[in-house]
Amino acid sequence: MRNEIILYINGERHALHGEQAFMPVGDYLRYIKGLTGTKIVCAEGDCGACTVLQARVIGDSFSPYISVNSCISRMYLLDKCHLITVEGLGKSIDMHPVQEVFVDQHGAQCGYCTPGFICAMAGMANDLKANGKEKTPQKIKNYLTGNLCRCTGYEPIIKAGMELNLNKVEKLSLLYNDEKILSELIELKGDVEVKFLDQHVYLPDDLQKAVAFRKENENAKLVSGATDLGVVANKGKLILNEVLSLNNIDSAYEIKETEGGFEIGAKASLDLCEKKLEKDFPEFSSMLHIFASPQIKNIGTLIGNLVNASPIADTVPFLMVANVDINLIGPSAERTISINKFFKGNYKELDIAKDEIVKSVFISKTDHAYKLYKVSIRRDLDISSVTFAARYKMSQGKMTEINLAFGGVGPIVLRMPELEADLMSASFDSTLIKSIVKKIPSLLTPLSDHRGSKEFRTQICQNLLFRFFDEVSGSAEASV
Amino acid sequence: MIGKNLKHDAATTHVTGESVFIDDREALGSEVHIGLVTSPVANGNLLAIHSKDALAHANCLGVWTASDIKDNNWGAVVHEQPILVKDKIGYMDEVICLFATDKREKIEEIKKLFSFDIDELKPVLTIPEAKEAEGFIYKVAKPFIKGDFNAVFKQAEHKLSGTFICGGQEHFYMESQAAVAYPMEDGQVEVHSSSQHPSETQRVVAQALGVPFHKVVCIVKRMGGGFGGKESQAAPIAAYAAIVSRALNCPARVILTKDEDMKITGKRHPFENDYEVSFDNTGKITALKVLLQADGGAYTDLSASILERGLFHIENAYYLETCHIDGVVYRTNNHSNTAYRGFGGPQGAMTIESILEDIAQTLKLDSYEVRLRNIYRGEKQTTPYGQVFENNMLPPLFEGLFSSSDYEKRKIAIDCFNAKKNGKVRGISMSATKFGIAFTARFLNQANALVNLHLDGTLQVSTGATEMGQGVNSKIAQIVAWNLGIDYLDVKVMTTSTEKNHNTSPTAASSGSDINGAAALSASNKIKSRLTSLAKLHFSGAISNDLIEHEITKGELDADIVFKNNKVIQLSSKKEILFTELVNMAYFNRVSLGGYAHYKTPSLGFSKNSVEGKAFNYFTQGTAVTEVELCEYTGEVKVLRADIFMDLGRPINPGIDRGQVTGAYVQAMGWVTSENLFYSDKGSLISHSPTTYKIPSIQDTPRVFNVDFITNDDNHCNVVRSKAVGEPPFLLGISAWTAVKNAISYRSKTKLVNITSPATNETVLNELTRVKNV
Repeated sequence: MRNEIILYINGERHALHGEQAFMPVGDYLRYIKGLTGTKIVCAEGDCGACTVLQARVIGDSFSPYISVNSCISRMYLLDKCHLITVEGLGKSIDMHPVQEVFVDQHGAQCGYCTPGFICAMAGMANDLKANGKEKTPQKIKNYLTGNLCRCTGYEPIIKAGMELNLNKVEKLSLLYNDEKILSELIELKGDVEVKFLDQHVYLPDDLQKAVAFRKENENAKLVSGATDLGVVANKGKLILNEVLSLNNIDSAYEIKETEGGFEIGAKASLDLCEKKLEKDFPEFSSMLHIFASPQIKNIGTLIGNLVNASPIADTVPFLMVANVDINLIGPSAERTISINKFFKGNYKELDIAKDEIVKSVFISKTDHAYKLYKVSIRRDLDISSVTFAARYKMSQGKMTEINLAFGGVGPIVLRMPELEADLMSASFDSTLIKSIVKKIPSLLTPLSDHRGSKEFRTQICQNLLFRFFDEVSGSAEASV
Repeated sequence: MIGKNLKHDAATTHVTGESVFIDDREALGSEVHIGLVTSPVANGNLLAIHSKDALAHANCLGVWTASDIKDNNWGAVVHEQPILVKDKIGYMDEVICLFATDKREKIEEIKKLFSFDIDELKPVLTIPEAKEAEGFIYKVAKPFIKGDFNAVFKQAEHKLSGTFICGGQEHFYMESQAAVAYPMEDGQVEVHSSSQHPSETQRVVAQALGVPFHKVVCIVKRMGGGFGGKESQAAPIAAYAAIVSRALNCPARVILTKDEDMKITGKRHPFENDYEVSFDNTGKITALKVLLQADGGAYTDLSASILERGLFHIENAYYLETCHIDGVVYRTNNHSNTAYRGFGGPQGAMTIESILEDIAQTLKLDSYEVRLRNIYRGEKQTTPYGQVFENNMLPPLFEGLFSSSDYEKRKIAIDCFNAKKNGKVRGISMSATKFGIAFTARFLNQANALVNLHLDGTLQVSTGATEMGQGVNSKIAQIVAWNLGIDYLDVKVMTTSTEKNHNTSPTAASSGSDINGAAALSASNKIKSRLTSLAKLHFSGAISNDLIEHEITKGELDADIVFKNNKVIQLSSKKEILFTELVNMAYFNRVSLGGYAHYKTPSLGFSKNSVEGKAFNYFTQGTAVTEVELCEYTGEVKVLRADIFMDLGRPINPGIDRGQVTGAYVQAMGWVTSENLFYSDKGSLISHSPTTYKIPSIQDTPRVFNVDFITNDDNHCNVVRSKAVGEPPFLLGISAWTAVKNAISYRSKTKLVNITSPATNETVLNELTRVKNV
């Protein structure tokens, strides 16, 4: 059992015992190491000023560098990682090519969001280079969705990205001697446990140990990417004293593709889902495209989004209509349960025992068609007002199969059995849709809040059903 | 040098993370952190503060309340806003007391240990409620009146009336309010503040501590964004740091979290403007009457001037023959609203842009035609406040953009697109800006500058301007470098500090480069004059040695002596000397190489009691066309394209100015589309972080974004014939909102489109639904 967190920052080795192991990453960088280029603005992973680059040793190699929000992460989550901060990319006397184009194109004004943008764009350059891809304005935007800037209007930043000469960009793994770093980190086997006063974190190297720990420590919070719990803790609404993390379980990061479908591991990131499911579930993949920011998707997991059990969790309506299986592991046995039974009906109530962990989710490949819609105040990087998911089969102008789910209009994501039956009851035409749409208000219990009034949410659900009809039927005349 | 696209003076340190902001300063010795404890109600009387539990916490080093402050009231204009609540609570989350801790991470924990006895009262939260309660902060002294509104209106063929309503806006500067104070010997204090107004911060700190002004130095290296939010409201934050540092005799730091900052500090004023307008068959406005009504929040702050700027911009780019413009600021139990880029101007201008859109819809005309019929023509027309509008660039700006943006063709394409009905509807609109440059309080139009010329030929320039990303330092450096014929990088604009430049005005009203640049030019001219006279002596063959010294005190500029390419040249004789050589000669002849100058913007003066005089030095003008697409199922707004055409005189740095234009446009686009301040019915701000308050992201920026400047060499009334750029393009973002109105009008058979701002998806969907129901 190791009792310290070991990581590298800008090529330098750090071994953390005690208090420092529990610090938010941004605070450690700024206040302990004096790396004040990394800025903390929102402390909730929504603005990107704290963005740094991270590579993790999984198995016997480093995963590719990803951009992450250092404000919500904790040092214990970075065991066996290499972090590169803005200071690690270049200095004024020896700038990184991304830094140079930012200077030339006036990509920085006040300078506060700039280090985060620099890291995110350096990550982009590294990715594009590794995958032999060219940059386009849209691609640049996609990599920078998680970085807010209040000064420039972004136009100079997009220009900077377009001016970047990828040939001049060195691989991030070559900036410092990653090979040498890997040779040390790869040798770190076994469990890690760190304690400081009333704080305690355990990082097992297999799921069985995790389950055993969970049985002994019922109050321990299971923290994965900390994209939600890190925020809640930062805002003083949760004390993360006892933590169990699956970060050192290499097998949990996988998405296994079989003929029948995909088994998505507990640590598989949303970004990986977006990429791996693109071919078979293009609708889901493009919904993930406007889900959160790259920084969040790089570290947040599909299973985290699922077990968080929020009624506005963006992936849940899809998972429900896809009727995925949830694989749970407990101290004595494993079991599988359909997602539609996993949610028990009340707010955040799941069919999971205190000593159980969601090991994976299985999505079957089928020949159904999907439609997924997300409505939010801002299209990208915003929490939904309403989500809609439909999986269906049509035959001769009639729905032969349909699963429907709405998010954001009740205490949990709602399946709509009554509407599903109605939709299959007659030929799929505008008369049918209009009669069904009329029923919607009586089936929903939305709240009024800053993301929309209940009347608005109700109307959106009605309109999304119209939109579903228009798109499926290809009607020229929009119903709204 | 002038007109060159040079890099921002801090660009290199910004991109490498080496730039130092307040919280990047290393903690010194026993430095403490300050926590703020705020009001849980929006209105009430504070009866008691219970801090015993907090004081018992191992990491709590002390608690301070209003009674610990010598002069607890501050206010940029009216001395009425408490630094800490004494008895009357003005708004939700108003700061009641402070505590200090040696551990930053304990702040949230300690905060929870406070409780208060409060006699809670019903809060006044909206303009209609304030109107009913007759809670005024300020009423306009005299309305702007031209002609006889009633007479014209009565006989008019077409009339419209209504209320234009726009919401407030959070500044969302990335660096939240921050300050750190260091106690110095002899009762002095040095405050580093993220402030647009170091002189005001110095004054408020001194008064709070009860020490003379000369014992306080306020230093501003830079801000991580300001946008007006740090013009007045940085001062009490700095006072918190000073009070604690003084009491504990150690450095004290206060860094607001984003959530705290958004809840505590004021925002752009929401307005509800009642109007009546008449117009002829061609769409020309014949008479306009507007009563501007602003929500000032709990305290006066800068609300009176903000309302007035709303009045000053009510006609925007359009000539009014007959008008009656009046205004009032109400007192409510909201955070005290404050300066924000445009300073009331956008809320005024948007009213008439909305009206023009309505006129176009009423008469079934294109809104561009209607606008073109209404813009100022020629050089002799007067504004509603009696100023002759000179250097009118509006006709070429409108016509130029009309053709460069391909308006006509795109309008036809939009007609076709919308006829298809595929769940989407598009709209297009051109709007304008004609922004008055000058503080409307005349005394603020002054600045001073200090220039130190060193023996290697490099310069340090200090002014009262504060750098918040807008590039004022770069522009000042360019002006001085150009004036002395030396390299840009040989001029360094130094940290702003009240011990070098005092009685300065806030870096606000877009005037930073104008007045501080002019002062720096004048200060550098003092040195240049001496060097010119010295050069003449030198070129004439005069000798100086141990016995004879070149005597120069004031010197005089001379067109025959030019400073160019690091040399000083006599044109008539073609003789030249290296700039550094001349500088050294000056030093050894004991000629001063320092320059200090004061500048005031000439011939300004406006009386609000009689509505006469010259309110503005000049006007920065521009036009923008925006095309939007709305989703008819969800009301979502997408900005497809924006084209901007601006008159910036002779831009000092076109690269920096371009960034100001794109930044201002997108910021305004956010204001009128997605930035929705949402409060509970108790007056608590619910949208207090980026998770809930949505400023534009990189995906929202217009998909096609063209920016161009018109040539204008005639702005002789400003330094190097440039024009101010900070606020004017903000008003161009209004075209995104008028384009939304235009888009909705395509789905209306009879009803006039009537939306508020911001045009969130809910607002848009509701209006689409309303206009479709015949």
